[in-house]
Amino acid sequence: MAFFSYFQIQMKRIGTLIRTFPLELVFWIGALIGILFIDPYGAQHFTLCPLENLGFHWCPGCGLGRAMSLLTKGDIAASWSMHPLAMFAFGAIGYRIFELIRHLKTTNHYG
Amino acid sequence: MANVLRHLPELEGMELGYIQGILKNMDDDQANLFAQVYRARRKDNQMVLILCLLGFFGFAGLHRFILGQIGLGILYILTLGLCFIGTIVDLVNYKSLAYEYNIKVAHETLSMMSNNTNYFPNVNTKTGDNV
Repeated sequence: MAFFSYFQIQMKRIGTLIRTFPLELVFWIGALIGILFIDPYGAQHFTLCPLENLGFHWCPGCGLGRAMSLLTKGDIAASWSMHPLAMFAFGAIGYRIFELIRHLKTTNHYG
Repeated sequence: MANVLRHLPELEGMELGYIQGILKNMDDDQANLFAQVYRARRKDNQMVLILCLLGFFGFAGLHRFILGQIGLGILYILTLGLCFIGTIVDLVNYKSLAYEYNIKVAHETLSMMSNNTNYFPNVNTKTGDNV
C-alpha cells in the first residue's frame, strides 16, 4: 500500500514535469546550437529535413540552415545567395526565445 | 470566491487551474463579466491544432499568425514551416502555444476590467494578488 502511494506520487511528479517542460524553448535553442555546428562549405550536407528524406530535392526552406550558418561566420553575400531569409530568421527566433524566457515564470504558476 | 467550473466549464488542464487562481479573488458578478470577455477572446487549442495541420498542405504558420507571432508566421509560410520541422514541433506543442496566448488574454482582460470600472479596488492587476 505504502509502495503504491509512493509510486503514484512519483508518477504525478513526472506528469507535471512533462506538462511544464518548455519544449518550444528547448527546440529553438537547440536549433540555434545545431546551426553553429553546421559546416556550410561542405559539398555533401547532413539533413534532418523530412521532405529531403522523402525524395523531394527542393522546398522553399532549403538552405536556410546553411544560410544562417554562413551568417554566423560573417559571409553575408554567400548567406544571401543561399537563402535571403537568414537574417530575418535570426531576428524572429531570437525574439521568440526572449518572449518564451520572459513568460517562463508567469505561464507555469498563477501570480 | 467564484468557481471556475460554474463560469467557464469548457476550460481544462493547466488553463483551468490558472483561471481558478484568478477567479478566487472575485465575487460572482465580477467573475461573470470576466468569463464573458475571456470566452470571447481566448483561442481554442483545437483551432491551433487544425491550422497547424494545414501546414502539411502548404499553408504553414497560420497558427503563428493567429497567436499574434507575426514574425514567425512569415518565416513559416515562406519556408514551408521550416521544411515541416517547425510544423511537426508545433503539432506536439499546440496545447502550450494556445495556453500561453490565453494566459496573456486573461491578464489583458483583468487589467481592462480594472481600468474601466472600479471593480478591483484591492486586487493588483499585474499579478492578480490581493494587495
